[in-house]
Amino acid sequence: MKVLNKNKIDAVLNRLAEQSEVFVPMQRGPQSGFFAWKSFENKTDKLALDVLNVYLPPKNVVLPQTEKMYSFQQEGVEVKIEKVYEDPNPKIIFGIRGCDAQGIACLDQAFLTRGYEDGFYKARREATTIIANACYAPGPNCFCTSMGGNPAEVPTADVLLRDAGEQGYVWESQTAKGQAATEKIADLLEDKQVTLPSAKPVTRTVNYEGVAEKLKGMFEHPIWAKYSEPCQTCGICTYSCPTCYCFDIQVKNWGEEGYRFRCYDSCMYREYTLMAGGHNPREATVERFRNRFLHKLQFFNERYGTPLCTGCGRCMVVCPAGVSIVQIINEIKEAELDA
Amino acid sequence: MKEITNQIQSIAQRLLESGQVELFMAWEKGDFDYQSKPYFARTVEESKKIVFDKYSIHNLSNALLKYRDGHEKIGIVVKGCDSRGIVRLLEDKQFQRDRLYIVGVCCPGMKDPLQAMRDNSGFNPQPESTELANKCAQCIQPNPVIYDELLGTEQPAHLQGERFGRVNAIENMPVDERYRFFADVLSKCIRCYACRQACVACNCRSCVFDETKPQWVGRETSVGDNMMYHLVRASHMAGRCIECGECERVCPVNIPLMLLNQKLIKDVDKFYGPYEAGMKYEEGAKPPLSRYKEDDPDDFI
Amino acid sequence: MPNDNTLNPLVPSIVEVIDIVDETPDVKTFYVRNETGVPFDVMPGQLAMVSLMPTGEAMFSVSWQEEKEHLQFAIKRVGLMTDELHTIEVGQKIGVRGPYGNGFPVEPCKGKDMLFIAGGIGLAPLRSFIKYCFKNRADYGKIQIIYGSRSYADLCFKDELFNQWPKEKDTEVFVTIDNPEEAWKGNVGFVPSYLEQLNPDPSGKIAVSCGPPIMIKFVLKALEKMGYTDEQVITTLEMRMKCGIGKCGRCNIGSEYICLDGPVFNLAQLKQLPPEW
Repeated sequence: MKVLNKNKIDAVLNRLAEQSEVFVPMQRGPQSGFFAWKSFENKTDKLALDVLNVYLPPKNVVLPQTEKMYSFQQEGVEVKIEKVYEDPNPKIIFGIRGCDAQGIACLDQAFLTRGYEDGFYKARREATTIIANACYAPGPNCFCTSMGGNPAEVPTADVLLRDAGEQGYVWESQTAKGQAATEKIADLLEDKQVTLPSAKPVTRTVNYEGVAEKLKGMFEHPIWAKYSEPCQTCGICTYSCPTCYCFDIQVKNWGEEGYRFRCYDSCMYREYTLMAGGHNPREATVERFRNRFLHKLQFFNERYGTPLCTGCGRCMVVCPAGVSIVQIINEIKEAELDA
Repeated sequence: MKEITNQIQSIAQRLLESGQVELFMAWEKGDFDYQSKPYFARTVEESKKIVFDKYSIHNLSNALLKYRDGHEKIGIVVKGCDSRGIVRLLEDKQFQRDRLYIVGVCCPGMKDPLQAMRDNSGFNPQPESTELANKCAQCIQPNPVIYDELLGTEQPAHLQGERFGRVNAIENMPVDERYRFFADVLSKCIRCYACRQACVACNCRSCVFDETKPQWVGRETSVGDNMMYHLVRASHMAGRCIECGECERVCPVNIPLMLLNQKLIKDVDKFYGPYEAGMKYEEGAKPPLSRYKEDDPDDFI
Repeated sequence: MPNDNTLNPLVPSIVEVIDIVDETPDVKTFYVRNETGVPFDVMPGQLAMVSLMPTGEAMFSVSWQEEKEHLQFAIKRVGLMTDELHTIEVGQKIGVRGPYGNGFPVEPCKGKDMLFIAGGIGLAPLRSFIKYCFKNRADYGKIQIIYGSRSYADLCFKDELFNQWPKEKDTEVFVTIDNPEEAWKGNVGFVPSYLEQLNPDPSGKIAVSCGPPIMIKFVLKALEKMGYTDEQVITTLEMRMKCGIGKCGRCNIGSEYICLDGPVFNLAQLKQLPPEW
């Protein structure tokens, strides 16, 4: 087996960072998320490879919170598009967990299939190498196995790291991209046999089977009014979710120059579907709440064959009103529908 | 606390049974015993799930905004900070007093279920839970200021250390350092607007940050746009913020929002005061920046 | 297929506004073309994202494509972007990208009688189908057009409505306005009730409708009452759109995106979707 000794992690990251932008899970002051390794500062930051996961998911590497699209010049009646900002610089996401990797696989479905390939996403994604960190100790809110995930195996990863404690990380390349990354740091790996830890089981499970089908008849069900009542439509769930991808397109200009950019948006906000004449198909909280859960559990599945939830549990941890997707799925399973 | 839970339950049952209220807002337990969350009971049976414990921190007065256009009578349980939220709504004319039956509870200080959820999630390498929630350590008003019924024994303020201690420390920083501090802290904002949604004083039907003609603040998460968002929001809170601390509590990237709000509370009290928002409900009362007096100070303009 | 001068579907191509016609006090028709002619080929019912660079982008249905000469958009002034659009002058360069959407089923409708029901600015998307039928007149049967607006001044495409279309072979045009006006000698009443009054025979007919959501809902009910089957009724819907390519998430009705799988749906398809429009 190829093994990465834990005291060589810094060296590996530095080596990889010579030619790519490397993103690692970090505790940065009071926050945690995937930040650029080049921006690591001992005073405020700490690598979070040993922690279950971080609060801000790594989707920002392939779909940034704010992304410049193209700049333009307008002089009188003349208009010119100056530059299109597709970013093909190589990137590496190091230490991503299975649930988040599956999230990126969902984003791939949304942005690269069905008639159009999103140029900005494509450029970033094709340049991104995923080095995943297998998960052997799920948390109390993790339910990834119920949503089609396997914490100890990450089939979509280019390289899979397995944490064998003091013995180091087993480094396993799974794709051609992974092989290319491995070759860059081959001299920092050792050849030895290690024993892998036994994976602790996922304690939280939910029965998702048949839910997508059953939801087709539950649009008017009272379950939505009941669970949406405490919801404040604050949007924290959409920002911490590894699969939420809805975006807004806006413009910034000064004088005769400007640029168009896209930024995260949330289906929980009233303005999300507000039309210019004032008509709003989802004016009330319950309508937006229902749309979000149906998108996660039914619509995305109908369209792309996989649910838009990977069971990472973040939304249940951060929701101030205590909304729990697990409770909702359980109640959907048990709901009685009129014949 | 068990006793208060029982008292609240019997009040709820009495009000729901007699039809005096159609909806009773309190808290219920979540999936874990360190999680209490908002709960809306409509029947006697449902009211049996009501709890009041040391995790009942969520400010329920914010939930009243969902019902502001309706006519149903609502029973609500409030602590000190929450009751000031109700005064805020009444002063802003967002709710009518006669629709409410307010059960006040003198608050012994709460623990934060969000901190506890984070500590137990496996995402926190070090535990962050404190004996007293951060917002409670700043509390000057644990006893409800408006109520129809009062439970519990009167509590002393839970404020730890000097009031405005953090604000004074920043004021004593030289200007450059102060700017760098806020640029650093506000650049982390992800513009999720959770602070705005959790805030009871943010009750405009059409929020300034959602306007398009003109667009007042851009949606980029640049330092400039983020600063504008937070400063404009804090300015809209000036003289109106009731210091419930929910904004800081819900922030997913731990921005110390109360610093800005407390600075403005201190300044409003100094220039237009003495004044503390939401301490007492009086018909026709208005926050200091919503009214004009001939002798308003203007030497700082 | 996306614009031919860039592979990125979110980046527009630049076109010139060659003519602007006032239809009503708040509706203008914009004629656009680029140096090589029409920026892209469009089928009736398809959409294009029009952008004013410093202001924003908005999705409009292409009201007609005069072959290799220009694209037409009939645009009503309702918000930020359309307000700005109404201030530009001929010669202004703007951005356009498309075509988006599935368009009307012009092929399967061949050989049928056509009934077009429109309200207000809703005539704009239908106009592309109506003109297509007239261009290929022999392929379609009898054509009936029912159109209504708030007032006489708010009727769009008056020249075509009163002078050109009624003269076409086997074509009837019925116009109504909401409230009586002194100079108006035609029908007074809302479109759905005028439709019920006229009671066009469903056999061998396809009904196509567009207008404000509330009008569409009443028209669909009326058509059902009059005996039209779900497959005979087609409508084109509208939602807030940003990307136009089915990625940003907001224009969904159920699992369908209006910009990609729509905007044209028949009633059978619409009934499968949640009633959220």
